[in-house]
Amino acid sequence: MSSSAGRNVVRRIAGGAGWLCLALMLVLGGPVAVQARESTPVVTDHVTVTLVSEVDAFQPGTPFRIGLRFRIIPGWHIYWQNPGDAGTPPSFTLSSPANVTTDPIRWPTPVRLPEGPVMTFGYTGEVLLPMSLTPPTATPESGHDLTLAGDAAWLVCADICVPESGSLHLTIPALAPSTTEPAGGAEAALFAQADSRMPQPSPFAATLRADGTLSVTGAGLSTATVHDAWFFPAHWGVIDHSADQKLAVHEGGLTLALTQAADFATTNSLTGVLTLRDSHGQESNLQLTALRAPAGAPAEAAGSPIPPLFQALAFAFLGGLILNLMPCVFPILAMKALAISQLSGAARRTIRGHALAYTIGVLVAFAALALLLMGLRGAGSLAGWGFQFQSPVFVAAMAWLLFGIGLNLSGLFEVGGGIIGVGQSLALSGGHRGSFFTGLLAVLVATPCTAPFMGAAIAAALAGTPVVTVTIFLAMGLGLAAPYALLALAPGLAALLPRPGGWMVVLKQLLAFPMYGASVWLLWVLSQQAGSSGVLAVAIGFLLLGFAGWVFGLGQRAQGRWRLISQGLVVVAALGIAALVTGIAAMAPSTVANAAAPGDGSEPFAAARLAALRAEGRPVFVDMTAAWCVTCLVNERVALIPTRDAFARNQVVYMKGDWTRQDPEITAFLRDHGRDGVPLYVFFPPHRDPVVLPQILTPDRVLRAITPVAS
Amino acid sequence: MKITEPSTTRRSLLALPLALAAMSALAGFGAGLMSFAGTAGAAPRPGTPAPDFTGVDSNAQTLRLSDFQGKLVVLEWTNDGCPFVGKWYQSGAMQQLQRDATARGAVWLSVISSAPGQQGFVDGGRANQLTQERNAAPSRVLLDPRGVIGHLYDARTTPEIFVIAPDGTLAYMGGADSIASTREEDLAKAEPFAREAIFAVFDGKPVLHPVTRPYGCTVKYAD
Repeated sequence: MSSSAGRNVVRRIAGGAGWLCLALMLVLGGPVAVQARESTPVVTDHVTVTLVSEVDAFQPGTPFRIGLRFRIIPGWHIYWQNPGDAGTPPSFTLSSPANVTTDPIRWPTPVRLPEGPVMTFGYTGEVLLPMSLTPPTATPESGHDLTLAGDAAWLVCADICVPESGSLHLTIPALAPSTTEPAGGAEAALFAQADSRMPQPSPFAATLRADGTLSVTGAGLSTATVHDAWFFPAHWGVIDHSADQKLAVHEGGLTLALTQAADFATTNSLTGVLTLRDSHGQESNLQLTALRAPAGAPAEAAGSPIPPLFQALAFAFLGGLILNLMPCVFPILAMKALAISQLSGAARRTIRGHALAYTIGVLVAFAALALLLMGLRGAGSLAGWGFQFQSPVFVAAMAWLLFGIGLNLSGLFEVGGGIIGVGQSLALSGGHRGSFFTGLLAVLVATPCTAPFMGAAIAAALAGTPVVTVTIFLAMGLGLAAPYALLALAPGLAALLPRPGGWMVVLKQLLAFPMYGASVWLLWVLSQQAGSSGVLAVAIGFLLLGFAGWVFGLGQRAQGRWRLISQGLVVVAALGIAALVTGIAAMAPSTVANAAAPGDGSEPFAAARLAALRAEGRPVFVDMTAAWCVTCLVNERVALIPTRDAFARNQVVYMKGDWTRQDPEITAFLRDHGRDGVPLYVFFPPHRDPVVLPQILTPDRVLRAITPVAS
Repeated sequence: MKITEPSTTRRSLLALPLALAAMSALAGFGAGLMSFAGTAGAAPRPGTPAPDFTGVDSNAQTLRLSDFQGKLVVLEWTNDGCPFVGKWYQSGAMQQLQRDATARGAVWLSVISSAPGQQGFVDGGRANQLTQERNAAPSRVLLDPRGVIGHLYDARTTPEIFVIAPDGTLAYMGGADSIASTREEDLAKAEPFAREAIFAVFDGKPVLHPVTRPYGCTVKYAD
């Protein structure tokens, strides 16, 4: 809807410009109107086409412009150089004189012409397509007229399309040899109009990120100058023509979220026209080429992708606020609300003191959380994101942990003693110390509940520098503390809190299922690492956990001797799980050797073997993968399995490095290629430099890499 | 006032390290799921299973794509009023390709996704008449006036060709050939992408250009 409105606006603008042109022509071209250099038109049912010249008379040897002028009836359009999803651009071939050729058409910026799910780019109303030509230099011919003859062909479409063509003839006189004055023609205004829509070289730096985002940076770009933007790709296949292009503008830059198309992965750059519109509707059309940001480069290096810090902080604060609604934390808040109501008679200063102590408690807990996570990330960045999943023991432990949390959320048992119990008793002890520990407790208690929701936030926070990370976490903490602080400052609000009740139990039980889902996935990962015996061990662990949870739950409701017996059984189950851990740790290494030989014609990666093959002059394709890397699996299914025949035909050795488990040789290979994670695909042609393939593969790209270039 | 905690509010309390571990596991899980959904939910892609569909042909027979498992299937989006389609039929090139493909056992399904009132929309009788008049040789002509199959394959132009290998995976999607024009003389100059793809699959060779630019008129879907 908005795009058709946009089209109307453009049409109106074009219409206005037409009137302006007419006025200009009357003023400027009045006296020479009889001399107009415009050919006899080709008139069809849909268009009137002429050939026009920018000059009334040409200087021999000096280039000047001619143009193909289209006047199109309402509701119909012709196409741009890249017509979009359908259609074809107009063409013009000069057939005479033989010694004159025209440069390619220079295309004014088109408009978008959406049709249902399909997007095309073209022109409506009136458009001039200019071309330069160089007339012969002074010869016996000079002083004579130049008669141009050419054939134009175009496709004109509304809801249906009609291919049309015609021959055009235009005679332009030469200036007398003595004349040096420029010869502005009656049609010059048409060219000026076309030039106003011609894309200008972009003064801004542009990069294309691996996710398809176009990032443009430069002074002058801001929310004040950019209200609307659209990118017209010069070629088919790199980005989707019809997909939305979500714009984000910040001081000094903008990003357009483009959608990748078939050839995206194999293209190193994106060329096209970026149209920027300010809030007054004033357009700037920029010709630009965006180079692909180096694959795997952190987002910061690709331009300015991170939302402004204050925006991230605002979201973190909101996230913290929302944590208050989590069922785990609500009782704490309710408890404190009750405490506040008791304080209603107390001095303002006392109440503020409590609020401050609680807030500090929350912030300390969040800072600790941030530091711990950064520590994890620090270790992770050494070996790559997800490295911790390389340890089967870790994966098994995670699977059990998540299963256990799930059982707990399902209500099989309650966990209340131990450290947290101490925290709770501290929290219940009055005074500022109590408020501080309540803050700590709220965070500790909130985290397991919020785990499924925190993933994205944590990823965003960790993308920044340590200072940014800690700041974002602290903002989250402030958000969590805010309602209590507010309650402390306005005790009357406490009465408005919804009461804890049955709804919290249902929510808690619902949250068990993401936990079960995650443990199922981890079980599958483990099956890749430690085979069926590993799966069996983890499944036995599930059984023991289920049993232990049930017995523990029973014990919690029992008294005296039964309680002791149940605790004894839990200890036995825990010992059983500990035994399973040592079992998994022991079984993992022995199964790794067969995991790397999956019968797909590959051989396991070995640096020495690679060196030997290269010395022999054999082409080698190295595929670094891991079972927990979903991108790797998709690439394999989409691009590597379908091209297996081509590997055989070209006698390419297919080497596969399985990084599902830690392997120093593979880690070294990854680092040599500037990566810290999988996937990585490198083709080693015989006697030539290796080629690193994109992280998202297509069969076409693989074939092009491994097929020898015929020379 | 004594602070009491109702039994329903007695909460599960787990230590911080456990929570951290759970979060990192879930972050990995979420990221994995997201990247997987990104590829599975998108438009068809060569090397992945071609989406199955049920359709009605010009003789009012219902057919399913999966009925043809084990055979090479060609889907040809068409619109008899489109000049790009006209180039292929007036020259006889499309009919020849249909005959060459079906002679080797391919199932050729011409698909008409034009909505009622739009160019190219036909009923079963008219579709059969067109096949006869043009001496065309599709195995069946599918009528898709609601654009269901068209949207499923994200078909955008006529003519546009999809080649489905006998194992049900998509082997080719794109233009009928390499030159986006309505001129018959360009047929001989163009690289015949669709023909190459069909016979590459028959011959067990890799398809060199599994995705090419589809060209032609827009598919005349209902708005």
